[in-house]
Amino acid sequence: MDFRENKENAEDDARYETFVARFAHYEPDLRRFIRSLLPTAVDTDEVIQQTAIVIWRKFDQYDPKTNFMKWACVIARFEALAYRRKMARDRLVFREDVMELMADEGAEELDTRSAEREALQVCLADLPEKHRDFLTLAYTPGVKVKELAEEAGSTAAAFYMRLKRLRGQLATCVESKVKEEATA
Amino acid sequence: MKPDSWKNLSAEEQDWISAYLNGAIGPESFEALQDRMVSSPELRATIRRCLAIDDSLREFAEDSLAASSGNSVASWTSGEPKTVAFPTSKVSKGRRIFPIAIAAGLAFLLGLAFMFVAFRPNVSPAIAATDEPSAEGFAVLTRLFDAEWTTNEVRHEGDTLGAEMFQLASGTAEIQFFSGATMTVEGPSQISLKSAWEASCLEGAVRMQVPPAAKGFKLHAPSSEIIDLGTEFGLVVREDKSHVEVIDGEIALRHRDEKETILEKGDALGLPLEGPSEKVAKGQVSFPDANRFGSRAIEQKQDDFERWKSHRNSLAKDERLIAYYTFDQDSSQPLVPNLAIPRNPKLDGATILAGRVDGRWAGMKQALEFRRPGSRVRVNLPGEFSAFTFVTWVRIDSLDRWYNALFMADSYETGEPHWQIREDGSMMVSVMVDDSRTNPKNPDGPPIRFQRLYFSPPMWEPSMSGQWLHLASVFDPENKRVSHYANGERISREAMKSEHHIDQLRIGNAEIGNWGQPFREDPVFAIRNLNGRMDEIAIFNAALQDKEIASLYERSRTSR
Repeated sequence: MDFRENKENAEDDARYETFVARFAHYEPDLRRFIRSLLPTAVDTDEVIQQTAIVIWRKFDQYDPKTNFMKWACVIARFEALAYRRKMARDRLVFREDVMELMADEGAEELDTRSAEREALQVCLADLPEKHRDFLTLAYTPGVKVKELAEEAGSTAAAFYMRLKRLRGQLATCVESKVKEEATA
Repeated sequence: MKPDSWKNLSAEEQDWISAYLNGAIGPESFEALQDRMVSSPELRATIRRCLAIDDSLREFAEDSLAASSGNSVASWTSGEPKTVAFPTSKVSKGRRIFPIAIAAGLAFLLGLAFMFVAFRPNVSPAIAATDEPSAEGFAVLTRLFDAEWTTNEVRHEGDTLGAEMFQLASGTAEIQFFSGATMTVEGPSQISLKSAWEASCLEGAVRMQVPPAAKGFKLHAPSSEIIDLGTEFGLVVREDKSHVEVIDGEIALRHRDEKETILEKGDALGLPLEGPSEKVAKGQVSFPDANRFGSRAIEQKQDDFERWKSHRNSLAKDERLIAYYTFDQDSSQPLVPNLAIPRNPKLDGATILAGRVDGRWAGMKQALEFRRPGSRVRVNLPGEFSAFTFVTWVRIDSLDRWYNALFMADSYETGEPHWQIREDGSMMVSVMVDDSRTNPKNPDGPPIRFQRLYFSPPMWEPSMSGQWLHLASVFDPENKRVSHYANGERISREAMKSEHHIDQLRIGNAEIGNWGQPFREDPVFAIRNLNGRMDEIAIFNAALQDKEIASLYERSRTSR
């Protein structure tokens, strides 16, 4: 973040700035953490909004000498579980026991997540352009796979097969890149 | 324990995860998957990774689509190449504006709107609150040739035009209306633009080309109204007489209080201000010719490019240059040579993910595009400097980030510069004054980073998307001031206060078009890639004066 010059602002103002700066800084990490607990990106958006609100409300209680992300993860975990209860009818939401396990372990993996994200960019860059374009298509919000498949003269099944292969390929690439880095 | 990896999963588990990511896993499979997750930490770890990757992929897809509105993606099947076009409205920008949305939401929620404003000065509420910016206008100025302007308001290729008086003193201009109609105008002309479907020619010569989609386009002459029923006609308005001729297709014309008549190909009419219309022989008047215009434009482009090349060669000899990159070398090499003479290959840059695309002269010169979040050019510029001048030709497609990078020192330590564009279109330049100053409010706490950001007023807005701009900023410790320039003109100047004064400047590792490594101790990286293209960038160890910036602009620009 940039640090705006700041002279005679109220204490609250400074506190709010600190909050926004911190939050914006760690938002990607926090997002990936929450994402691993929930079925879709939309759910993730919901929970991260809630989390931000709670973090701000409790920002007084945060001790700046301690790890912000650890603290934020505890709140995010709680919010994800609360969201889960609200959404329990959705069959894609993890059971409570599973979600708790995922949250506990996920909170320890934040550095890995961010290393993976960097690795993913390298892996994506190494993909043939055709494959990248395909992924862009597949991940465009609001795109209907069936329509896409028809448009391209293919079937939805073939589309999903191809998507699965590419995801596997990327996961494997990311795993090996992160491992390389860890041992380098 | 087996390492957690995709490959070590069973085919069944891989299928489950895929189905889960597609939102299409059956209830029984989902139960089975969760049972297995409870007993297998490796499976859990792999799923977390897959979900996070999934999220990043979505983000990249949004970025790459939002970057090129109305993007089309080549077919992904091995069969016939087909194209799938995405309407931009489908592309959610929600994620990108997220931190602002959160901040705004919180401010609202807690009645702290004033704090939000305090945090991001000069950001109008409209920018913060809406996620769908719109550009005004209904036509685009697509081509210009030798254009001179009647008023001080100079127009550029790519400008969006709205309801206004378009006044061309001489030269030729091509205007494309959003209805699909194209107007070629020759100066001196005075055209009142009314809507995508209507314009009024008060003076001058125009040629209208109206495809079927724009049938019904209405053009007014001082004494007549012409409705194009498809294809092409010309109109000349000089003093007290107008002259219309149908070049192809037909038009409906009403002159003064006469009955509406249909004119067909080859028909020509004189339209006096007073008195009835009169049939005249065709070919008496010449209309602007869009075809000739095209080839003349190419010749001019070639001339401009040659002129720029000689400018480049002389600029490279400027002894005050720290580095000068023009991105127009052989595309097979990843290196971006620093052209400053004497040549020092150690100062060459390396491109990462930045795509080579058409530069200011399509087909003649290349530029680099920083559309993808990971794109950048890495450089290392050692040494100590006493001032900075940054100069670039850049094409901004959109300002997606809070801060959009032009030239950024990596870790932003004492004496290192940042040059970027804020989301609202302001240029900003800053140099870290002290990266570890004791916090006056908390002397025992961790040190704070002390700096000053110098902003220009907003100089870019979405309607300028795709236009090439000449930008410069000067950090001048000797005269204690910081100035910003757009297209050769100074748009702001601010005094450097003594507390912010610093004259021992450095760069070291730095990036063009992005900011990769915010702080040394911090593994998280910000995304500040510039969604746009850069044609060239020069960095001087000197504070260039107004005249010099204006001259750099003049010598490197395309003629208008």
